[in-house]
Amino acid sequence: MSLLEIHGVSVRFGGVRALSDVSFRVNRGEIFGLVGPNGAGKTTLFNAVTGVVRPTTGRITFDEHEIGHLKPHKRARLGIGRTFQNLQLFGAMTVLENLMLPVDAFARRGLVSDAFRLPMASFEERRANERARAMLHFLRLDGIDGLRANDLPVGIQRRVELARALCLRPKLLLLDEPASGLDARETAELAEALPMIRERFGTTMLLVDHDMALVMRVCDHITVLDFGEVISSGPPDVIRSDPRVIKAYLGEEVA
Amino acid sequence: MNDNVRLRRITVVAALAVAIVVPLFISNFYQFEASEIAVLAILVLSLVVITGYVGQISFCQYSFAAIGAFTVGSLVGGHHWSFWLALVVAVAFSSVVGILVGIPALRLSGLFLAILTVAVALFFDRFLLAAGTWDSFSGGLNPWRVGRPSFFGIGLDGPYAYYAFTLGAFAVMAWLVWNLRIGKTGRVLRAIRGSEIAASMIGIDVTLWKLAAFGLSAGLAGLAGGLLAAGVGGVSPPSFDFLHSIQIAALATVMGVESIASAAAGALALVAVPEILTHTPISADYFPLFVGGVLIVQLVFAPQGAVPKMVEDIKHLLARGRHGEPDATTDEISAKVTV
Repeated sequence: MSLLEIHGVSVRFGGVRALSDVSFRVNRGEIFGLVGPNGAGKTTLFNAVTGVVRPTTGRITFDEHEIGHLKPHKRARLGIGRTFQNLQLFGAMTVLENLMLPVDAFARRGLVSDAFRLPMASFEERRANERARAMLHFLRLDGIDGLRANDLPVGIQRRVELARALCLRPKLLLLDEPASGLDARETAELAEALPMIRERFGTTMLLVDHDMALVMRVCDHITVLDFGEVISSGPPDVIRSDPRVIKAYLGEEVA
Repeated sequence: MNDNVRLRRITVVAALAVAIVVPLFISNFYQFEASEIAVLAILVLSLVVITGYVGQISFCQYSFAAIGAFTVGSLVGGHHWSFWLALVVAVAFSSVVGILVGIPALRLSGLFLAILTVAVALFFDRFLLAAGTWDSFSGGLNPWRVGRPSFFGIGLDGPYAYYAFTLGAFAVMAWLVWNLRIGKTGRVLRAIRGSEIAASMIGIDVTLWKLAAFGLSAGLAGLAGGLLAAGVGGVSPPSFDFLHSIQIAALATVMGVESIASAAAGALALVAVPEILTHTPISADYFPLFVGGVLIVQLVFAPQGAVPKMVEDIKHLLARGRHGEPDATTDEISAKVTV
């Protein structure tokens, strides 16, 4: 059964067609790769799924819900988590605070219980703290909980952002170029971490990256976009030898 | 208990002790001015919430205060309501107006938000409060008279009694805002200031929280307005002139708009500096010039604000005395997390 279904989604910005009639399905438990040259529409697709942009036409179904009309935070609450190509950590806040926020977002406490320090507030505070620390431990980030996110090297920031997205307990995790800015060792660690995350939390993942070795290694299924259209789709072995893919990447005629 | 917490508690207790004891030994006039400081501190606190926590600039806090003041004025002065009931209505009414201003402000930030708030302030100042527009609210040409209330049987007529009451009101509000800051609310609001997109992607309803912050901030400003009315004994439009909003925003920035302590420091400067200037050859008319001058100095030398800078310097001094460890370097962080 598929978790995410994209039906004929098009996104236009003025006269520019960022996505045209894109359709695919991501099955539960799958690590699904989305690749394509720069400007192929990968980030636009992420934005359409998370609600940052509205598709001009088409339907997006998540976990049997039509989500096209939902605001971004509602989609997050349904279980769509995300990391960003250009890191979006809350830089002035500590690592621990960054990780507590997704738990906070669900917590049944607000202005009043916080202002008067009602028991519910301290209960939820402990819960957020514990969940955040457990996730730090899981991704081997212990010991940096009190540091400001901005003070961390990029490689660590990427891991913290991944940890923050996981604190949402997402059913679907969208990873937008998680290996960019990582060195070879860090990329290898990431390639190990993704299947580990799936095993532990049962998270389905949609992965965009330019590192083809990484994508080929971790993904069960790959869809290739070029100029906003799906040009190929299948398991890594099929994609590797598809002449249309090679053409899109190398830009030359293949016999 | 860690050193920072202990230092903070000692500072708060000492400041409260000074604030309670010193005004006992000054003249009635200065006691009255002390109560103005406490009330203005609540008004600056409203800026700490909206600008300090959420990063939304506002040049119309005096307009929200005016709503509070004139609601109390017209209900108590015009309709002989009880002051306390009028104050509750005043706070609620200013919150609602704050949320209404917040709706167009949702999509704006920086310069455009600043312009919107200036427009709101001018609308109040030049139109709504002008004689002839809505006299049953503004009092028209006759200022509303508001007597001092009594607080659970204790008369607040004496200047020290009213001062003690307003100091208590500020202390309670500061405590509530502090609780928000250290809880989920503070985290959520700072996250929204950091990145609205990222905040919404982790399930935070950015619209709801921003409107809540606008409502809360305007409610605090309205409370300050209501207390100002009872303190002065009446309300008239000139005291809510647009320029006051600019001054208070400037001073909040100078002191450091994220810190609750700067609310107190800002209010102190707002009353004490003009008072001192009147005793010098340069008169209080030059107060705006003074504010502009220190704003430039602060932006150059202490962009985080005067109070946070002072706190940093003190912590630094204390840490040096104890040979505190220097901050971790990037390499050390990497070493720490790599197993």
